[in-house]
Amino acid sequence: MLHSSGTAQAVAFKFSGRGGEYFRIWIVNLALTILTLGIYSAWAKVRRLQYFYRNTSLAGSSFDYHGAPVAILKGRIIAVVLLVFYNVAGGLDPFLGLGAFALLMLFVPWLIQRSLRFKLHNSSYRGLRLGFDGTVGGAYRVFLLWPLLAYVTLGLLMPLAHQRIKAYQHGSSRYGAERFRFFAAEGGFFSIYFKLLGLVILLGIGMAVLIGMVMGGMTALNVQGADEERQAVIFGMAMLVIFGIYLTAFMVLGPWFSARIQNLVWNGTALGAHGFFSNVRARDLFVIYLTNFIGIVLTLGLYKPFADIRLARYRLEHMALNLQGSLEEIVAGHLHDVNAAGEEAADLFDFDISF
Amino acid sequence: MAAVTADYYDGRSARAHSVSLSLSADMLVVQGEDVARRDPLHALHISEPMGAAPRLIKFADGAHCEVRDHDALAVLLDAGGHRDGWVVRLHGRWRWALAAVIIAVASVAAGYRWGLPAFSEWLAFRLPERTLAQMGKSTLAFMDEHMLSPSALPTARRQRLREAFEKLQVPDGKAVRYVIVFRNGGSVGANAFALPDGTILVTDQLVFLARHDEEILAVLAHELGHLDRRHSLRMLIQGSIVGVVVAWYLGDVSNVAAGLPAMLLQARYSREHEREADAYAVSMLKANGISPGRMADVLRRIEQAQESRECGAGGEQTGILDGYMASHPATSERIRMLGRD
Repeated sequence: MLHSSGTAQAVAFKFSGRGGEYFRIWIVNLALTILTLGIYSAWAKVRRLQYFYRNTSLAGSSFDYHGAPVAILKGRIIAVVLLVFYNVAGGLDPFLGLGAFALLMLFVPWLIQRSLRFKLHNSSYRGLRLGFDGTVGGAYRVFLLWPLLAYVTLGLLMPLAHQRIKAYQHGSSRYGAERFRFFAAEGGFFSIYFKLLGLVILLGIGMAVLIGMVMGGMTALNVQGADEERQAVIFGMAMLVIFGIYLTAFMVLGPWFSARIQNLVWNGTALGAHGFFSNVRARDLFVIYLTNFIGIVLTLGLYKPFADIRLARYRLEHMALNLQGSLEEIVAGHLHDVNAAGEEAADLFDFDISF
Repeated sequence: MAAVTADYYDGRSARAHSVSLSLSADMLVVQGEDVARRDPLHALHISEPMGAAPRLIKFADGAHCEVRDHDALAVLLDAGGHRDGWVVRLHGRWRWALAAVIIAVASVAAGYRWGLPAFSEWLAFRLPERTLAQMGKSTLAFMDEHMLSPSALPTARRQRLREAFEKLQVPDGKAVRYVIVFRNGGSVGANAFALPDGTILVTDQLVFLARHDEEILAVLAHELGHLDRRHSLRMLIQGSIVGVVVAWYLGDVSNVAAGLPAMLLQARYSREHEREADAYAVSMLKANGISPGRMADVLRRIEQAQESRECGAGGEQTGILDGYMASHPATSERIRMLGRD
């Protein structure tokens, strides 16, 4: 399947995870995590990621995850200490809390850079590790400076900040010695954000009209001499309707935004000469999110692992790699680089902080 | 034994080598395109079975085999004496999954019912005085800014109430440090609060509402009960932990819906605390020869005042949510417990 043919060929990602299978891993993870007061959560995370990575395949080979549970445990302890510190400071005194928040913000870009390194260095495919070469300075630019600029400009530069973050993440990644390239331009991000704004405004108008109608109805009923109890019921129903709209807005706009961004980002990413391809559809994601949400609520969370599998399957199986020739060829030319990059990255300060 | 087909990767290039695996004594033999190696099976890292995912046999030098021929590999590993870990056995059976569900639900329930209250009580009595003072100060400052205004009560009236309460004996002889402050409650109405640093906040409206000073003393005793048991502090600790756990569990579902269950879960603790404070007040009142009925009287009056403000029409309001939602036990229940109904 992967012999060099010289012509381009789209190879789709495949996902073989199954809900029932993953449920057993998930629930055992949960029970052991509780019994060990959270310590097992690091091992649980490794098993969870291994399940997803190894069940993801591309061109007949699977991905693998190599994270060491102890490194993850270390990261989690740091995260918990930071959280407790932040919460206690905020609880004691608002000003102290503000100081702690600022301090935490100063710390966060460095932490993100570390955990990106950890995550990619511990991912492999066909026996070669991925890698991340993004600098700490770059992390401060995209995770602190750009968000601040977006904040100061009241969100106007938000699309630009988002583009810079993705460019940093994808543009600094490697597979073996082969670099990823990121070329999704700012315009695409601006377009998605402006459409989102438009949708939000439309929904806002719709909500205002509906509230107006309900208010009008209430007044009309009042004129007809309906009692107060009835009025209270109507008001309660109005609140329910408004909450429903609010929830729907999240359920509709969330998947729409997520689908557009995934497509934009991955269609603008390439590994060397091999471009990625993504065609996630908003309405499909909406159906998955909605049914997952209902399932999780009805089962008090027990449906969660099934939901995770469904979402991962959909997202992965709507992605492909446009192979120019074969993967075996690209990496074969960079043997020495690959080997050197492997060991040194696992230095003392590598840990994973993402939950 | 049938040979096991696999893909071999040397760890230095992405090239896949088709190989077959077999066992020779306790050595794993790998043979195929440009590959021939023998390694002791027990020295290799063999990944756990995970459904349809390939199993990975990892060599010390960074090479590995990707095996999708699960049945044949199982036979080979069995013959080679390889055993999977105990967690793999847990993952393999639905009865273990069921046991895990039971363990998870039971420990969460037990943690919520006994563990968390015990922990927050333990912590509440170990926090330094300075922390409590700081928390009380910032809470009062916040309330002063947003809800309260200076008390309109004459100084002499306030002083008389303070002195009357000071004369009362504490139930178990255990002195509790407190300071009574008065404020105009504004929209808060007739109410009293116990802050973590020992401040008991009484609104003017409560003083106006009471028909007898002993009713105010009863409310003060109730608040002293809160202070004695450090309830506000414990609520704060429990609230943060419940909040974190609920957000973690539901975080992926929807952040919108996460707030409500946390509030419901908190309400239960709150009701328990109110009952404790009521019991404290009753024993304090009895110890000083005041009828606990005073407490019932003032509770009824507060409830009536709130109803006439909220509904306009007044009258008995029996919401179905009373028992579950309310942060206080239903007033009728509290009055019954205080023995005047």
